[in-house]
Amino acid sequence: MAPSSSSGLTFKLHPLVIVNISDHYTRVKTQFNPPPSLCATENASNNGEAMLQPNPRVYGCVIGVQRGRTVEIFNSFELLFDPSTDTLDRSFLEKKQELYKKVFPDFYVLGWYSTGSDAEESDMLIHKALMDINESPVYVLLNPAINHAQKDLPVTIYESELHVIDGIPQLIFAHTSYTIETVEAERISVDHVAHLKPSDGGSAATQLAAHLTGIHSAIKMLNSRIRVLHQYLAAMDKGDIPCDNSLLRQVSSLLRRLPAMESERFQDNFLMEYNDKLLVTYLAMITNCTSTMNEMVDKFNTAYDRNSRRGGRTAFM
Amino acid sequence: MDIELKQAEIIDQLVRRASTCNGESLVPIIIDATSHPSLFAFSEILALPNVAQLEGTSNAVYLDVLRLFAYGTWGDYKCNASRIPQLSPDQILKLKQLTVLHLLSQTRYCIVLPYDALMVELDVTNVRELEDFLINDCMYAGIVRGKLDQLKRCFEVPFAAGRDLRPGQLGNMLHTLSNWLNTSENLLVSIQDKIKWADNMSEMDKKHRKETEGVEELKKSLSMKGDIGGRGHNEMFGEPSGVMNYQEDGMRPKR
Repeated sequence: MAPSSSSGLTFKLHPLVIVNISDHYTRVKTQFNPPPSLCATENASNNGEAMLQPNPRVYGCVIGVQRGRTVEIFNSFELLFDPSTDTLDRSFLEKKQELYKKVFPDFYVLGWYSTGSDAEESDMLIHKALMDINESPVYVLLNPAINHAQKDLPVTIYESELHVIDGIPQLIFAHTSYTIETVEAERISVDHVAHLKPSDGGSAATQLAAHLTGIHSAIKMLNSRIRVLHQYLAAMDKGDIPCDNSLLRQVSSLLRRLPAMESERFQDNFLMEYNDKLLVTYLAMITNCTSTMNEMVDKFNTAYDRNSRRGGRTAFM
Repeated sequence: MDIELKQAEIIDQLVRRASTCNGESLVPIIIDATSHPSLFAFSEILALPNVAQLEGTSNAVYLDVLRLFAYGTWGDYKCNASRIPQLSPDQILKLKQLTVLHLLSQTRYCIVLPYDALMVELDVTNVRELEDFLINDCMYAGIVRGKLDQLKRCFEVPFAAGRDLRPGQLGNMLHTLSNWLNTSENLLVSIQDKIKWADNMSEMDKKHRKETEGVEELKKSLSMKGDIGGRGHNEMFGEPSGVMNYQEDGMRPKR
């Protein structure tokens, strides 16, 4: 149903689009399926619908620029889908388009997006409807199902191609590869989301655990890549694979720098930083102790002071 | 990595030319290869059977030249200058560049290369010439990237292109890779342990806190019951009533 495209266009996708689509989907999903605490009688009718729509499909438009053979998708906005006629709300689309044109005069409608696991036949109707705005629209599909085993983004971009099937020229979807392109502002926000700490992570232990877990997963990825290299070189050594000299040269240039931790300069710098940190921790501990001591002395004085005030010097103090 | 891309095309061309020729005609190709300004990899050409056939013939010296460029240094050339035909200035320059790469691959220099060693290896007498050579011929050619530290007289190199591998070096590389693999696996295990330790410590801390503060809460709840019970109980509970008595004592002198 979706072979690889051969149009030769390169697609660049901005993270803003992905975040927008997932945000739209999440909003619609929570509106239809509110959490049990908010569930009241006024939502009962919606709940009846919600049972039928565990995964509502959301629709919208993507906009961007096309320069030569590169298509860059910058932004997106939501559209209303009319299930009775199976089309997108045209007047709304045009109004939104005008508004966006005022702010971003370079951007124009490049295509549309939706959520789901695979492209369907009904999508082709919407695709054809958009063909009068852009002669070759793109279809961005986001799969909202969370799959922990999957390593790359669940976003696919489809293009339409005219293929002759059984003697009839038909438009079918063909998926294309894309790269992610970021603007500095997007990079900051993606970085922020990636480093989300648990909101009640007040205690030092949970923050430390979160930080260490991050490092752990990074090193695990490094580990798997080193293992791949190791197996590849071992196979080359045994003779299973013909020697690729260019690769060997690159690996040797990489390995030249190992072991990186045994050089004197590293040890010096490392120990200096370690000592500094220990000193700071020590200082903090001492301050803590003195403040606790101070409190204790205050309480002590308050508790036993009346004895000394009543004239008699008692045994203690 | 970009140096490899640049070289790939040139290597392809030369390999194609060389595989069609034989014997005598390979000589100009070898000379071409060793003087080409962007080519630093010769093992593909060395691997061709036509080139290996040069061994033992009158043109064997050119095979030696190729081998020198693939694995040897400027120092080797000087020792064997009698056997090897005179090199053109282009080739000499290239050999010196390859010598720099060779020095960088030796583990005792790791990332930092002292000027003195470089000057000895390259037969360069003053620092100015050395730095010019390094900047123009090594860094602009793209085979090394680094910083020149004139105060400490050393050259810090975080990246250098690899040279051709001698047949025995693959074993070393495998060894280094397996060490790296082991170290990272050990590190993973110790990080897991640290995470568990951090969790345990926080558990113990929470328990400790509950125990110490539990006593205080108990006292507070008892003392509040005591206040409701009337002043007769004042003497038994030190803290809150202590404050009250203190104020009374403070008021006495005023009367």
